[in-house]
Amino acid sequence: MMRRCLKRMLARARTLLNLMPLVVMAAMLVHAPLASAHKASDSFLALQTNGSKISGQWDISLRDLDLVLELDRDGDSVINWGEVRTREADIDTYARAGLDLKTGQSICPWEVTDHLIDNHTDGAYVVLKLAAVCPTAITALTVDYKLLFEVDAQHRGLLKLENPSEEGAVRTMTAVFPAENAVQTFNVSAGGGSPILAKLAQLGTYVADGIKHIAIGFDHILFLVALLLPAVLVRTKDDRTGEARWMPVADMHTAFITVLKIVTAFTIAHSITLSLAALDIVRLPSRLVESLIAVSVFATALDNLWPFLPKKRWLVAFSFGLIHGFGFASVLADLNLPNSSLLLSLLGFNIGVEVGQLVLVAILIPLAYLSRTTRAYPRIALQAGSVAIAAVSLGWLLERSLNLQLMPF
Amino acid sequence: MQIRHSAVARGRVLAGTLLAPLLLLAVSNVSLAAPYIPNSDATPLTQLSTKLGPSAQMTTRTTPSNRTLRALLARDPKNVDLAVRIAQLYVSRSRTESDPRLLGQAQAALGAWWSQPEPPVAVLLLRAIIRQTNHDFIHARRDLEQAVAREPRNAQAWLTLATVQQVTGDLKSAAESCARLAPLAPALISTTCIANVNGAQGLANDAFDALSRVLAESATDRSTTPGVKTWVLTLQAELAERLSRMADAERLYRASLAIDPSDAYTIAAFSDFLIDAGRAAEVLPLIPATTPTDILLLRRAIAAKAVSAPDSAMLVDLMGQRFAASRARGDRVHLREEARFALSLKNAPDEALELARANWAVQKEPLDARIGLEAALAAKRPDAAREIVAWVDSTKLQGNKLAQLTTLARSP
Repeated sequence: MMRRCLKRMLARARTLLNLMPLVVMAAMLVHAPLASAHKASDSFLALQTNGSKISGQWDISLRDLDLVLELDRDGDSVINWGEVRTREADIDTYARAGLDLKTGQSICPWEVTDHLIDNHTDGAYVVLKLAAVCPTAITALTVDYKLLFEVDAQHRGLLKLENPSEEGAVRTMTAVFPAENAVQTFNVSAGGGSPILAKLAQLGTYVADGIKHIAIGFDHILFLVALLLPAVLVRTKDDRTGEARWMPVADMHTAFITVLKIVTAFTIAHSITLSLAALDIVRLPSRLVESLIAVSVFATALDNLWPFLPKKRWLVAFSFGLIHGFGFASVLADLNLPNSSLLLSLLGFNIGVEVGQLVLVAILIPLAYLSRTTRAYPRIALQAGSVAIAAVSLGWLLERSLNLQLMPF
Repeated sequence: MQIRHSAVARGRVLAGTLLAPLLLLAVSNVSLAAPYIPNSDATPLTQLSTKLGPSAQMTTRTTPSNRTLRALLARDPKNVDLAVRIAQLYVSRSRTESDPRLLGQAQAALGAWWSQPEPPVAVLLLRAIIRQTNHDFIHARRDLEQAVAREPRNAQAWLTLATVQQVTGDLKSAAESCARLAPLAPALISTTCIANVNGAQGLANDAFDALSRVLAESATDRSTTPGVKTWVLTLQAELAERLSRMADAERLYRASLAIDPSDAYTIAAFSDFLIDAGRAAEVLPLIPATTPTDILLLRRAIAAKAVSAPDSAMLVDLMGQRFAASRARGDRVHLREEARFALSLKNAPDEALELARANWAVQKEPLDARIGLEAALAAKRPDAAREIVAWVDSTKLQGNKLAQLTTLARSP
């Protein structure tokens, strides 16, 4: 009786002992689907490639490093800066073993150039500044990630890889490295990344090209000046002598309308031919185009002295604008653009040309308007200016049509 | 009127935006500056372990330090007993400390056996627990079925299997597993197992009474540890809530928290109870804004919004960052919480519905049904919740809130 009782008690005790882990886990398990917390272990690797060079930064949690390196020397459950600083060499050695960078088959050895600290939401991280040089320019970067997996199987490396794209913009790729997918290769030279940002950056460079072309394109500037100089005046017949005379326009409104018509006509015309040429629909020999541009400048300047062109200036601007458009197109062609971005470049370049043109108008017209009533304006600005422009454009014409090198610009 | 209203709203948003970085600084100790070099060697950088609840204190007191165990395992990585012991310790600590890092460490300790199709049963069990915590319920169940096939008298395997079956909505199998557990485990544990299943299929009343009885009988039992008692009391509180016995529910939640005030599951469930009762202000003292635990931060943020607390916008922002961080590493474990976040805090019902449906495909507990119904109604797509309505009908799942939601979802 006694023995049976004892035996039963012993059996019961054994069951309970077996159930000790069960007790905790049973509770945990039922609750577990909700228990998502703190943060799982990640390291953050940011790399930038440039030619054969890689620079970057690697944030690794101090808590995670403590598992491997026992940073907490004094065992007070707090890691202080001294416990990190004095172990930098060990941290570097461990980190280097945890990351291989390769292009093709060749290893890109990397070094730690600096150690810093950063605070993430789940505690402090050591920040390793990295620098690597590959034996060749990087085309495909292979990242072999193996940090911390031996102590935390759910650890992941989060990579942000930046590299300059063909169009000069930066493109960014991201990747996650779990233990099951620890070696990944990235095509560094191909397009991709954030297409909209890259396109905008691209557009910006074409706009700049367009502005630059107007700024250094004296033929276009002189053409516009010749075209616009008389805009603040009106040609009338003297009642007594019957001679043609330049009189200042009465008000700002009249001058403004004239300028608006001229600039709009010029813009529409050169946009048409620029597009036709850029899209390869019409092609003219550049020598002919350049010579015709010189002719257009010469003719416009001459018309200011002895009128022979149509009285409606916007018509002149439109006709000659067609020729200038072909000129812009040859510049665009010289920029050697990839076909994929032709429309974008066309748009950007044209916007740039318009911006440059408007700046010129904004400087020239107010000055001309304010000085239009002086006696000097028709004589010096208009007549002498037109003579000078005609002379320069004649030089261009000779130079361009005969393929000589006469002019300094 | 309209204009004034939106101006006020904008003012509030602006104040929130201005305040947010400051509060963030206070809450998460994030330096707004770039990486830096500390001034002195004595500058403390990071805390290694969090404050432990009573159950965790119990386990840590009786075991050697983690460091010692890790060193032992490093010397003898094929020692399955040692590896299992370490993994068990980490798994239970990950529960009490709400720290997913420890699960990854447990998995690493089992590394030598992790990929084996038929590892030792002790490893199978741990692998199943880690997998189910990561919501890989399919593989977890497979491991557990193998475990009970190899050791039909393994109580822990049956209990764990029952839980996985219940979470994924296979209530019939869960009841069978609890029945297989009954002769192998103390009455308190097997009764709680079956009460959990019954409580989800229209028998909450019986389940509640069964738990009351068994708790009284097992009061002096050695198996009635604080961890188990917390588990039982919280389940009982949830059953009371399902039965609309609100005073009982509150009393039981408080009793459970009196045993382990740091139990995240109970705090979360009690907070939901308070928010539903329109007592969101009482959640604020329960969950500090600095909580490291996402499921608690979510409740705190919802409560803060409900009472227009000054840190409301900052908490929403912080919560959004936590979900973003989890997505960045490719985790899809927090779908239920993320759906709730989208619905209650981001005011994005379509996104919430998408998340809730993805969640329903994986787990089918009462909370999953509820967020699915709420999201479908908010997105004005009650048809999207047809499956959930049918589920509630067929399981006879009780609860006033659920009944209201299903009625709404059913009406055209």
